[in-house]
Amino acid sequence: MTLLKREEWQGFVRDVDWTPTYVDYEAIYPEWHCGTGKVPREAWQGWEESYKVSYPEYVATQREKESSTYAVKAALQRSNTFQDLDEGWKSATKMHFGGVALVEYAAVIGELKMARFGLNGSWRNMATFGQLDEMRHAQITTFFGHEFVGQDAQYDWTQKTFHTNDWVPIALRNLFDGMMVAPNVVDLAIELPFTFETGFTNLQFIALSADALESGDVNFANMISSIQTDEARHSQQGGPTMEILVEHDPVRAQWVIDKSFWGSARAFAALTGPAMDYYTPLEHRKQSYREFMEEWIIDQYIHTIEDYGLKKPWYWDEFITGLDTWHHGLHMGLWYWRPTVWWRPKAGVSKDERAWLASKYPNWENVYGDKWDVMIDQVNANNVAATLPETLPWLCSTCHLPCCNATPSRNGEWKVRTWQLDYDGKKYHFCTNACRQIFWKDRDNVNHETLIDRFLAGQIQPMDVGGILNYMGMTPDAMGDDPDYGAWTRDYIGRAVEGIAAATVQGATQ
Amino acid sequence: MNSVVGPILRMGDQIEEVIAAIRDDNPDQDIEVVDRGSYVRIQGHDRIRVTQNTLRGYLGADYEIRSFGTMMSSFVGRVVNNSDEIVWENIKRTASPEGVLAHD
Repeated sequence: MTLLKREEWQGFVRDVDWTPTYVDYEAIYPEWHCGTGKVPREAWQGWEESYKVSYPEYVATQREKESSTYAVKAALQRSNTFQDLDEGWKSATKMHFGGVALVEYAAVIGELKMARFGLNGSWRNMATFGQLDEMRHAQITTFFGHEFVGQDAQYDWTQKTFHTNDWVPIALRNLFDGMMVAPNVVDLAIELPFTFETGFTNLQFIALSADALESGDVNFANMISSIQTDEARHSQQGGPTMEILVEHDPVRAQWVIDKSFWGSARAFAALTGPAMDYYTPLEHRKQSYREFMEEWIIDQYIHTIEDYGLKKPWYWDEFITGLDTWHHGLHMGLWYWRPTVWWRPKAGVSKDERAWLASKYPNWENVYGDKWDVMIDQVNANNVAATLPETLPWLCSTCHLPCCNATPSRNGEWKVRTWQLDYDGKKYHFCTNACRQIFWKDRDNVNHETLIDRFLAGQIQPMDVGGILNYMGMTPDAMGDDPDYGAWTRDYIGRAVEGIAAATVQGATQ
Repeated sequence: MNSVVGPILRMGDQIEEVIAAIRDDNPDQDIEVVDRGSYVRIQGHDRIRVTQNTLRGYLGADYEIRSFGTMMSSFVGRVVNNSDEIVWENIKRTASPEGVLAHD
């Protein structure tokens, strides 16, 4: 029997946008979910994705993807591959499992929202496949992480992370709920499929897979790159939405891109930056974080938005400058506040590693070298306690990440500063100028209490380190620590010590 | 360069065959390959295509072009597909409407 080709029937069966007579159109497609705004509702009739799939094709293809991914997992299950992985690399995967598994579930909600409220049958059809994709991603990520729980309690945070009030998931919930759950579906299609899935997930799911494969983690590389094949398809909901929005309301299109790009860039600097430039063993690094950002975001994504008729975001210079600082500062913060994270942050500043960092980031030694020197000398003076936190970092009121970005002063010194805003009787602090600007433009939406706000309001009791760790859901078996202090300090044993660490070292040698 | 278009394939055992098929289907293009280990960028300029027939020549007579979706983890440009071929083209359009393949 000869089957009709998809293109011979798909347009007909998908055209389900009949005129309702029993209920008001507005009751079925309320504006607050559909978000058409200045776009005439009839304009959405022109929505059409160019990368098409039918349900039979979808099922057959997804079955092939699942079979091959689980086959690799099964083949490796009886090997020693996991035991042989570097602790730094394992930390990169723990960050991923905890940071991503339940974000995939939030994406299910986002796709379902578009499947219900998208103002075109083709769009709702694509989003229906999209939610099936995201369900797969939530399940496969949770399942793959679960395999290791018996060997290392930190993998339990694969499922646990987003159910806690740890500062990392607070920051990520703030970003992703704002991107996937709260918006109307037009904004959602620009934020999730267009910005996040066409741009940033490529960085974590494809670029990081290059480091994964080099590090010998075939299973992880296989899983994340398989996930991204789904993203490549359902992210195509972004393009047609963008074309219609740009035609009728380009100012709104630009704002939604600008806001979601910035939030994504901040989160990935924390999630992907340290994984690529510090946790991945030096000999296995394919490119630096900055180089991967240049390849996937600057060359690929920015060309895409310009092709749709939009401009680079207004904060472009601040973003580009941040490629040399943000993730280095965040890495230092993740390492310093290591008892608050569910992985083992590897400092990654041995002489060889520092030479690599300096080759990729010419200003690295100037800005970060002396701070790490203090840590190194304290560790070599057998005073690890001096490298542990006794206070909390100030968290940005927009991205909820620590205010830890170094910027140059007029005299050439690099200093960490905050951008402040007095609003509604309160002083707010921000990690960057653009976080401050986004807060001001969107203050009724992004104005949520940071962990520090909660602490100062007395919501966290007792008000000490133990109370904070308990509030975060952190337990001793999962609490982060450096996996190997000697690995990055032994190069410097016996050198002359200056500065803050000098007093400790003198004390230790007397 | 802004006019680069093409698929990005994940790690797998069919990459060389796909590259050969794309080169066959785009004889007037110099197809560039960027190999980063776990992913490979295959890129041409403005518009490149691959057909099910050519893919079948390399991957077997029963190869279904829908299976290309298991390999393609990303792409540059706009992807347009039907039951016989996949096209990667510039996002900026000059003439053809959305979803219509501009056959050679």
